[in-house]
Amino acid sequence: MKAFRIAMVLFLAAFPAWAQHEEVVNPRQSPEDVAVGGRIFRSHCAVCHGLGGVGDRAPNLTTGQFRHATSDSALHEVVSRGIPGTEMPGVYFNGAEVWQVVAYVRSLSGAATDEKITGDVAAGQKVYASKSCARCHRVNSEGGRSGPDLSRIGGSRSQAHLRAAVVNPNEKVLPNQWRFSGATKDGTIVSGRLLNEDTYTVQMFDARLGLMSLAKADMASYEVLKESAMPSYEGSIAGKDLDDLTAYLASLR
Amino acid sequence: MKYTMRLAAGLLFAATLTAQVTSERLLNAAQEPGNWLTYSGTYQSQRYSPLDQITRENASKLKLSWVFQASSLQKFEATPLVVDGVMYLTQAPNDVVALDAKTGRKFWTYNHQLPETINVCCGAVNRGLAILGDQLFMGTVDGYLLALDATTGAVNWKTKVVEYKNGYSLTVAPLIVKGKVIVGTAGGEYGIRGFLDAYDAQTGEQAWRFYTIPGPGEPGHETWEGDSWMTGGGSAWVTGSYDPELNLVYWGIGNPAPDWNGDVRMGDNLYTDSAVALDADTGKLKWHFQFTPHDEWDWDSVQVPVLVDREFQGRMRKVILWGNRNGHFYVLDRATGEYLLGKAFVHQTWNDGLDEKGRPKTRQAAAPSIEGTKVYPGVQGGTNWYSPSYSPQTGLFYLSVWEYASTYHKNDPIYAEGHRFLGSLPRRVEGDPGYGAIRALDPETGEMEWEFRMVEVTNSGLLSTSTGVLFSGSNEGHFLALDARNGQEIWRTNLGGRAYASPITYTVDGEQQISIAAGNALFTFVLGE
Repeated sequence: MKAFRIAMVLFLAAFPAWAQHEEVVNPRQSPEDVAVGGRIFRSHCAVCHGLGGVGDRAPNLTTGQFRHATSDSALHEVVSRGIPGTEMPGVYFNGAEVWQVVAYVRSLSGAATDEKITGDVAAGQKVYASKSCARCHRVNSEGGRSGPDLSRIGGSRSQAHLRAAVVNPNEKVLPNQWRFSGATKDGTIVSGRLLNEDTYTVQMFDARLGLMSLAKADMASYEVLKESAMPSYEGSIAGKDLDDLTAYLASLR
Repeated sequence: MKYTMRLAAGLLFAATLTAQVTSERLLNAAQEPGNWLTYSGTYQSQRYSPLDQITRENASKLKLSWVFQASSLQKFEATPLVVDGVMYLTQAPNDVVALDAKTGRKFWTYNHQLPETINVCCGAVNRGLAILGDQLFMGTVDGYLLALDATTGAVNWKTKVVEYKNGYSLTVAPLIVKGKVIVGTAGGEYGIRGFLDAYDAQTGEQAWRFYTIPGPGEPGHETWEGDSWMTGGGSAWVTGSYDPELNLVYWGIGNPAPDWNGDVRMGDNLYTDSAVALDADTGKLKWHFQFTPHDEWDWDSVQVPVLVDREFQGRMRKVILWGNRNGHFYVLDRATGEYLLGKAFVHQTWNDGLDEKGRPKTRQAAAPSIEGTKVYPGVQGGTNWYSPSYSPQTGLFYLSVWEYASTYHKNDPIYAEGHRFLGSLPRRVEGDPGYGAIRALDPETGEMEWEFRMVEVTNSGLLSTSTGVLFSGSNEGHFLALDARNGQEIWRTNLGGRAYASPITYTVDGEQQISIAAGNALFTFVLGE
């Protein structure tokens, strides 16, 4: 316990400098710190960034380049507070533990698997058009609204995740993509993306009817489907087409 | 005519304001249901009102009377007090406001300035005030206990209770017992050593302290390995109850620290996650009952102890009813602490039942892990700190519940004074949000009599009345009146904000009112035509 306390006094001595946004050396860089940071990463970061930080639903962290942070201080800030406007939350740990995560993330740089773009972006854009992706998806204000807006999707998803989402869209369906399907008592069939729900009402987007707010008491039947509205393109987009489409999606940032 | 009456009533307030709330009035609070004199209404903490103007038949005619908008974006967790037509409440973090309870118009505001850096895990909040004589009492997030003049809001005395820089804070509504002001500290996520303190209401001098973690040489100290007792948590941030006949104060004690890694604090970790009964005069421990030994899920036992005198298993008993965060409902004998009944009230996967003394047969497989262990109930528990209610009229115990799981992770905790000391953090199970409900339990068996199910979980406390109505807020923003016999909805309105406190009811000029905080405002309803 005493050793802990002495270590923390040293750490706290460095803290005010960081608080003023001056560059500080990460005070938690020992191999033990990297190991502890790695365990925290497995618990709290790997679910999106993948084991070993290779990227999945969240970006690959092994390239040595971080879109939202160029310094250790900035990484500390990102891990502590999250990135506003993205799915990245801050973690609720004390400063020393955040530094350990930063040390672990730094240790990943160049370690293994910087993803190489193998497809052709321009060809991928043609695949996107030929398969009518824009019927449901939107890129830079063009396209449908029933699926997720893809304008910046390459900045937040790994290529492997994008590829998997095309061939197996039901593998990971986030709650903001759940669907609501039902029939009102007057016979209207509604189906679309679930936006909000409470005990009495549901708010949804139906591609045909637009934004709808329904009273459950007026519904003859309804269900919440925790599955994607997107069909699987397994087999129908494959080989070079899939490489090219993935490259195109990865280029959207 | 009406103006004259209000004026006359106002003059009456002025005449009676001094020594307005005596100890006798607090003891007999149930005899004056037109007022709301303590955090939980009475020392028994049943949150049950004998007022009978609002009934199952006419509750659907409730209409908005006035709204008090707080100048605060913090969660509104405070239960107001109402004394002879004057409402006293806190505006988070630590402003005190006195209002005309008839109109919602302000008499005065006391502003308490906090330092820029404060240590609170879960919002700079406050749960309310206590009153004795003509003084109001409030604990502050930066660790002070204040006595204010109830007429003017002037500070009579200010005593430093805790050092906020070390992770301690006061968010609890104080409890007044026999001229003493009792408060417990918050800070269970900061490696504190928790305690309950009593202060002389007149002078602010400390009368006694009870450490929730026994020191060297004290019984229970052996339940902490090594020095872990020094940073073992055991906060006490929700108001307790009092039995004047037994002269015992009952309080729920919070989680051990670090929350989710018990390896560095081997042992049962007394008196965390326990009910404690203390001698009101000395603070000495009379008995304890630990709900969750060696907790690794953050299941504070900071619920309000509900004191009930009723027949139990064939004979009249003085019992405590306790819906615990660990997902189990308990009945304890409150004279001795004897365990009488325990039964899960939500789905749970962390134990194989309770033994004959109420100790859980904890499953090893439910312990947190690096990759995460999915366990029911989730980290917010089957219920939490929000007040339950007991109705002597229906004989049922009502509580707000969460049916959900968390994934409990475990990492290496680093202790640093004044910093978070957690040992990781649980996560919600994505795609499996669970749901909330209000449930009614039969205290004789622990069986559920009915439930009112909601899509979202709920943080609202409850209020029952002699006319068979149960009131609650919700996370969805609704204010609800249910039939206390069967859970059928009688009336609802949308207040557009989450309820983090409990509804209260009282009278002004003989007319029954009901108030509930939702979002950042307090809404007051009366019967319409």
